[in-house]
Amino acid sequence: MEKTVFIKRTNGETDMGKNFLTLIVVLATVCLSACSVSENTPYKNFEAEPYENTDFAMGTVINQRIYADNAEEISRKVMERIRQIEDDMTINKPGGEINRLNDSAGTDFVKVSEDTLYVLEKAKKFSEISNGAFDVTIGPLVKEWGISTDKPAVPSMERLQNLMSLVNYRDITIDREESKAKLEKKGQLIDLGGIAKGFAADEAIEIYREHNIRSAFINIGGNIALLGGKPDGSPWKVGIRNPRGPEGSYIGIISAKDKAIVSSGDYQRYFIKDGTKYHHIIDPKTGYPADSGLIGTTIIADLSVDADALSTATFVLGLEKGMELIEKIEGVEAVFITKDKKVYATEGLAGSFKFEDDSKGYEYVKKR
Amino acid sequence: MLKKGDIVLIGIIGVAIVISSVFVLQYKRVDNGTHKIAVIKVKDKVVKSIDLSSVTEPQRIEISGEYNQVVLVENGRIRFLEAECPDKVCVNTGWLSDKGDMAVCIPNSTMIKIEGQSSKVDIVTH
Repeated sequence: MEKTVFIKRTNGETDMGKNFLTLIVVLATVCLSACSVSENTPYKNFEAEPYENTDFAMGTVINQRIYADNAEEISRKVMERIRQIEDDMTINKPGGEINRLNDSAGTDFVKVSEDTLYVLEKAKKFSEISNGAFDVTIGPLVKEWGISTDKPAVPSMERLQNLMSLVNYRDITIDREESKAKLEKKGQLIDLGGIAKGFAADEAIEIYREHNIRSAFINIGGNIALLGGKPDGSPWKVGIRNPRGPEGSYIGIISAKDKAIVSSGDYQRYFIKDGTKYHHIIDPKTGYPADSGLIGTTIIADLSVDADALSTATFVLGLEKGMELIEKIEGVEAVFITKDKKVYATEGLAGSFKFEDDSKGYEYVKKR
Repeated sequence: MLKKGDIVLIGIIGVAIVISSVFVLQYKRVDNGTHKIAVIKVKDKVVKSIDLSSVTEPQRIEISGEYNQVVLVENGRIRFLEAECPDKVCVNTGWLSDKGDMAVCIPNSTMIKIEGQSSKVDIVTH
């Protein structure tokens, strides 16, 4: 009896020992795999709180959300880069290359940086493909309307007719070899307001990439550029602004990773005179705020600079021509909102755009 | 047949699961809390932080700067009430009451934001 018990006990002890070994092995494996997961997965900061920064530059609000340990430092680098772009390209304060280019209009070439060359080339390209609906030589008209200033005013038709003769993107000559550019006629003015913020957003994404960040976004006054998806790997959810609702209200949601999303609309900047609303997107062909039947356009593209120019171009072109233009360009999608509150999306957005209108004021038209 | 060791092993794993679940739930609950904290920022510096849920009496907050502004706080909501700036975008934004809501005055570099994120969208175009 005693012997049996002893043997049993021995057996029990060996089993216990084996199990204990198993337990240690299991725990060690779990521990190691957990460690290696956190080392190797792209979503290193899965549980980490995002770093958020809000700042002001380029005449607008800039919001960054970054998932990284050194996010604050990176966000500062991004702001420095944006301020440098602003200094080069602004016409709202003295100095900078575009001011020099404008001052030398009709006389001489002006040396410009690689940034400015790139943006001018992009601007010309989008002017060409939109048949002049987007045109950065719109400056004289924008200045006359003064919509972003303290004293906006409705100019006379005659005055607008005169100024319209100065608006022509073909008068921008770019000499890439010599890094210089020129405006043909005296009085011509380049205004990069419809494209520079898009470029700045692309540059921010570039800085995030250089620092091996995998999840971040930047919003430069509505020019949204996404890096990767959310830290858990799911796409970012971007609301498309309800043009007749308050800031932050939306008519649908786009799920996207690594995309730029830019909206243009008549609600962004405007003034009201004698009961008429005058918004800031001037049609180069009429001299007046664009009246194409659209109240909001949103472009989804790989580059923010492209989305920025195209949102303005399509806003001026209207639903039919705007759709035609977008369908011609590979990898670019759009959502258009018409004056009669109908929402149209390109076919390529079928899987990623969800119509969601809490205001119940809009109608989603799937097929044109 | 389960041996003593197996039971011990299952027990340990079970306890580990329960403990980690408690922590995860705790973490989630903090995020979904009902407290709405509004912050008023001037040039990205927080000048005032208000728990909107604990506001009982309407309260006016004056911000002086290049353009003077008045912020109004009520239970559960906050807004720019008056502003001397030319465009009045901040005042026209109206009441903010949900997490992630934001009103901004660009000429004055001021903003009000309700902290946290909207559950449905990460960001909205402008």
